[in-house]
Amino acid sequence: MSNPILAFSATRRMRSFRTILTVTAYAGMLLLIAILMLKGMFGTSVTIQSMQQGVRCYLILTAAQFGLLVLIGPAMTSGAIAGERERQTLELLLVTNTRSFRIASGKMLESYAMLALLIVSGMPAMCLTVVVGGVSFSQVLVSMLFLLAVAFGTVCVGVFASACCRTSVRSGVMSYRIIALIAVITALPFIFGYPRNITDVVYDSQQYAALTKDGALKMIHPLLYCNPGFGLVALLQDQTSLLSGGSLENIPGFGTATMVQRTQYQQWGRLLCTYLMMDRAGGQSIALISSGAIAVAGSVLMGIATFLIRPRRKRVIGD
Amino acid sequence: MLKIEHLTKHYGTFPALQDLSLEIPERQLHGFLGPNGAGKTTTMRILATLMTPTSGRASVDGVDVVRKPHEARKLIGYMPDFFGTYDNLTCREYLDFYGRCYRIGAKERQRMADQLLELIQLGDKRDTYVDSLSRGMKQRLCLARSLIHDPKLLILDEPASGMDPRARADMKGILRTLREMGKTVLISSHILPEMSELVDSLTILNRGRLVLSEDVKSLAARMSGNAPLEIRLAEGCGEEAVDAVVVCLKELPGVAEILQPEPYLLQVRLEGGDEQCMQMLREMTARGLPVTDFHRIPMNLEQVFMEVTQDE
Ligand SMILES: Nc1ncnc2c1ncn2[C@@H]1O[C@H](COP(=O)(O)OP(=O)(O)OP(=O)(O)O)[C@@H](O)[C@H]1O
Ligand SMILES: [Mg+2]
Repeated sequence: MSNPILAFSATRRMRSFRTILTVTAYAGMLLLIAILMLKGMFGTSVTIQSMQQGVRCYLILTAAQFGLLVLIGPAMTSGAIAGERERQTLELLLVTNTRSFRIASGKMLESYAMLALLIVSGMPAMCLTVVVGGVSFSQVLVSMLFLLAVAFGTVCVGVFASACCRTSVRSGVMSYRIIALIAVITALPFIFGYPRNITDVVYDSQQYAALTKDGALKMIHPLLYCNPGFGLVALLQDQTSLLSGGSLENIPGFGTATMVQRTQYQQWGRLLCTYLMMDRAGGQSIALISSGAIAVAGSVLMGIATFLIRPRRKRVIGD
Repeated sequence: MLKIEHLTKHYGTFPALQDLSLEIPERQLHGFLGPNGAGKTTTMRILATLMTPTSGRASVDGVDVVRKPHEARKLIGYMPDFFGTYDNLTCREYLDFYGRCYRIGAKERQRMADQLLELIQLGDKRDTYVDSLSRGMKQRLCLARSLIHDPKLLILDEPASGMDPRARADMKGILRTLREMGKTVLISSHILPEMSELVDSLTILNRGRLVLSEDVKSLAARMSGNAPLEIRLAEGCGEEAVDAVVVCLKELPGVAEILQPEPYLLQVRLEGGDEQCMQMLREMTARGLPVTDFHRIPMNLEQVFMEVTQDE
């Protein structure tokens, strides 16, 4: 490790009790979910019911990790630069021969390594679903890669906000706002662009294709590809298509049999599933593209953050 | 070594520093004085490449700190007035960390860290967490940190604030050692008596302007040249004896003014040099007057400071 910021921040983090607590809580919570959902299914033969339950558990675990990473990422990075400002140590770094890019990237990589550790610590729980059936190990690996991409995005947003602000609290608030903004903006085409009038009669992509004028599958709006949440749903839908006939909502416990019983949220979920099914690219590709978009956006934010840390800059938020 | 030319810094429209020119030769301890808000920290931050001046130049060993900040940083060790430390890091790791930030090789880093910890007398605390050190110890550690890359110029902004008398004495010792090691030191402080003992030359700023910059020796000579003589008489020797001394003094040539701040203490302003002084002493002994102490009031930096920073 040639970056001292990375090496020493990591050392300090690993020495703090909070880190131990975070990892334990994260891994413990996921394991608890897995064990509660899958109890009584170990050591018996694989049945269609156990496979369905395994898939359900897998979906919940992956979504939970996604949510946790988005929550934890900014909280963990909010102090990266702003904390150094608060502690009055940033100037001590800036008068050394360490360029601001190394400071920004060191802080980012260190937080990223911590999130990666969390994701890896969630693996045992994820693998329990493989044992029960319905999910393959390679699928678990793919979703882990996707989560790693999401973690990268949140960490970059966090470091960017941290470079903008005087205090960690402000920077934390700012990163959650940025994430919310990204989520809403990239979801706009779905919110406004979905052909609502036909949703209730569409059950799968073939039907949808038959209904559209030219009879072919359509590309969904490129902006939507960049939404990590959509990427997640697309990935999970694609991975579980064998059991669900293509749509997540066909998995018992996720969709409901009759339309009348649907709540507003289930209705939205169904819309989303059908929408994603229409896509020519396929779920894994959507996930890949949104990962790519996250990586690009993250790198841009890191570039700006580097610029903001330079010694002679005048103002930061909170002056 | 350090050359400042017409340095000016405005915060918005507020002139914090105006046309400061200053030169400090190598191996000098240079004191940087001035009342609160005089612009000391501003100057030091510009020199430490943390801030750009509005106009003017400054160079260290010929390297311009404004145009070539990266090269200048290798030559400068900076200790700010306020600073923090990291938790969960030991003293050695702390120094090691900054050593790596200065891109020093592992062996060299280790050697320097050990040496510096000895220098600041924290050798036995090398494996203690920085967090658990006292404030004075942290300040010494921060001084060591600013030395880790063996800079030629040290810029210390109030390094002794908050230290107890013993720690300050230790700090003075450390600074003298550093001068012997060939470093040039620019140090700001508000503790004037200590500064006048320590530094070789000093600069006084007031409201962003230079009001005095002089060698301490020549300043002392200049100040004591016309400093009043203080004559203390034996306690309780009686008013008559005191009057006799005053009469004797009045008879002597060169005595311009006699003050009596205390019953048995006289202050004499003398026009003329050592010759008049010697004659006065001879005369008083010859007459058997009860003089117990006879000396020139030594240079008082505080007085100089008050005079030159007086606002019209
Ligand atoms: N960031 C800033 N923005 C605006 N004005 C500033 C800023 N920093 C300092 N000043 C002003 O510049 C002037 C000089 O400040 P500086 O900190 O250099 O004084 P100083 O000599 O170090 O004082 P002290 O002895 O209190 O440390 C002060 O009047 C101060 O109010
Ligand atoms: Mg100051």
